[in-house]
Amino acid sequence: MTKMLVPYPENCTGCRMCEMVCSIYHEGKVNHADARLQVHRRNVKLDFPSVCTHCVSCGDECCMLRCPVEAIKKKDGVVYVDQELCTACGECVEVCPFGVMRMEEKAFNCDLCGGHPTCVNFCPMHALMYEEPKPERYEQVKRLLAPEE
Amino acid sequence: MKGYTGRILKIDLTSGKSFTRTFDESYVRKYLGGQGFAVELVYHGVPKGTDALDPKNVLAMSGGAFNGFPIGTASKVAWASKSPATGTLAESIMGGSIGPELKHAGYDALEIVGKASAPSYIYIEDDTVDIRDAGDLWGKDTRVVPETLKMRHGWDVKVACIGVAGEKLSKIAGIDCDDRQAGRAGLGAVMGSKNLKAIVVRGTKDLVPHDPKAVLRLAYQYQRIYQAAGSWVEDTKYGTGEFLGWVNKERGVFPTRNWQESVFNEREKIDPYYWATRYVTKNKACFSCTKPCGKLFEVKDGKFKGVAIDGIEYETLYSLGAACGNADVESVARANELCDLLGIDTISAGVTVGFAMELFQRGIITEKETGVNLAWSNASDAVPQMIELMGNRKGFGDVLADGVKVAAKRIGKGSERYAIHTKGLEPPAYDVRGMKGHGLAYMTSTRGACHLRAGFYAPELVGKFWKWEGIDRFSAVGKGPMVATMENFMCVYDSVGLCKFSRGFYLIAKLPEVLEAITGLKFTEDELLKIGERIHNMKGNFNAREGVTRKDWLLPPRILEDPIPEGVSKGHKISVEEMNLMLDDYMKARNWTSDGVPTPEKLKDLGID
Repeated sequence: MTKMLVPYPENCTGCRMCEMVCSIYHEGKVNHADARLQVHRRNVKLDFPSVCTHCVSCGDECCMLRCPVEAIKKKDGVVYVDQELCTACGECVEVCPFGVMRMEEKAFNCDLCGGHPTCVNFCPMHALMYEEPKPERYEQVKRLLAPEE
Repeated sequence: MKGYTGRILKIDLTSGKSFTRTFDESYVRKYLGGQGFAVELVYHGVPKGTDALDPKNVLAMSGGAFNGFPIGTASKVAWASKSPATGTLAESIMGGSIGPELKHAGYDALEIVGKASAPSYIYIEDDTVDIRDAGDLWGKDTRVVPETLKMRHGWDVKVACIGVAGEKLSKIAGIDCDDRQAGRAGLGAVMGSKNLKAIVVRGTKDLVPHDPKAVLRLAYQYQRIYQAAGSWVEDTKYGTGEFLGWVNKERGVFPTRNWQESVFNEREKIDPYYWATRYVTKNKACFSCTKPCGKLFEVKDGKFKGVAIDGIEYETLYSLGAACGNADVESVARANELCDLLGIDTISAGVTVGFAMELFQRGIITEKETGVNLAWSNASDAVPQMIELMGNRKGFGDVLADGVKVAAKRIGKGSERYAIHTKGLEPPAYDVRGMKGHGLAYMTSTRGACHLRAGFYAPELVGKFWKWEGIDRFSAVGKGPMVATMENFMCVYDSVGLCKFSRGFYLIAKLPEVLEAITGLKFTEDELLKIGERIHNMKGNFNAREGVTRKDWLLPPRILEDPIPEGVSKGHKISVEEMNLMLDDYMKARNWTSDGVPTPEKLKDLGID
């Protein structure tokens, strides 16, 4: 099975290094809104990352299903936005259960850096791992995200 | 000039107006960022003789030059103002996300003057700058305030705020952001005096580095270096208290019971090697730091059940622990939590309670006045109780709420003899009787007794650092020039925004490469150190202008008269002769007058007006 990003909230220190390196790797600049993943710092007890699960754990809240122009596709297990077709309507951003479908001129999401995720390289705490997908971890993050949704 | 926004935001709370001014490369070459910018704003912004709590005082804040970029440990944000505790130009550094967020909003620094007519908070969202009513937040603690404001403005905003102590103008009040504090020198009271409860920042703009690929490469390179170092494992497991046992036993300079002793015999009870596995439930880090020294410390049962803090730091284990003879780590955690919630500095608060406990021991004060049994044997209960009273200025807490110098004046009866401070600031956890150069650093530090203005504890305790080897911590000879150089070094660190825990990795040699990758500007090591020297001289000149000179720098009587009674540093003290020798050496190295005033030639050489 294709490896995916797996979040381990209990290991996250809330430093947001992963967001910055993601943004700088993909865009050559730092903007947390450009990061393909998010770190949430809620209070002294709770920091956690949320990542794109590439369909593993989204169920009906699916960007591919919601996209009115079928611009969101999947290849070798990796979800991507066809930039030619995207109309920037924002439906996918709205539906994403992890809040990691992003939008500037067009929608974009995590591309796993072609198989060597930069964020994982920069996380010495193992709060992000690149391994077999773990649906229970994705569900955990969904629960943590729930209070503010 | 990449990496900077090139703009400084000035807010006048009296008129409710805000102004933006721009700066160019020449400003960066002079002041670099972070502490440099903040000190410059205070130096040029505060009229001579202004009282620290007067509306004319300036509160400045600036994130370091590396802030906002993925350079490990580059999270430090500098606050500066004229301090109500010391009357000097004092900076206070915190690890927090508000500096980077301010950059994303489009400003490198913030300058706040004036006084709002009613409790207010500042709301900054990119180009929108508002002063809003904080009537509902006044009186609230430093966890309720950010939570309320985040509910109101969204989870992405960053909030710096003061607690009740800052509102009540306590001279030991600090500023809180993300459970990290700019605690020292009472800048929370400056914020309180301006009727300013909180600063809320939201920034959505890009930060563009000069060479993104180089930034990413350097970031990765240094991250690998941190992780390979032994200290990474120790810091991650035990936090900053990891070397407490060593300082206590191998060096014998861990001040205990208000500096009456320098070895804490019950240190196992407060040493993180013993408590980490029991209480630490999670690692915490400042923004952009992959070397997490923060610990989520949770007490699950007993009388302090429910305590949850980012701590306990080394300094706090001393101040609320050993300095008060408090060997109950859960009590230390509770007192730490109260300090954080009420917004007071843990070092100053703990040293002040320890001072009161010694007065209690000597019968100078009794339970009749204090209302709390301040016997060393009752420390576990007394320390948190006293902190709560101090933060709220209730009962005897009102006497202690402004630190040891003011408390000793209020109490009188010879209590000054037991007040440990220089320039009115309570000292951190290094007994300088056994590390004399660090004693000099306590005197020369522009904000009063401080371990991080020169960071001289590291060279003296280890015996080597940077370009020096074979340093004798018991000798007063040759320390003046070394302390002066280290002060310049540290000013550079606070200006690029790096945490001092990484100073051993970068030193000064590695900074130009990182600066160039981010800003595109080339600096040499000497140029950087000269910027550091300029920043220190500005602080020194400001202090001299305010009448704080050598006579006010001197060490307290305990350090000059009472030798360390036991442990490996037994018998050592700093004599008056040694003190004067070190001060004379230092003044010469700085080219200052023997009174501690920067000479006109020095100021001219550094371009300070």
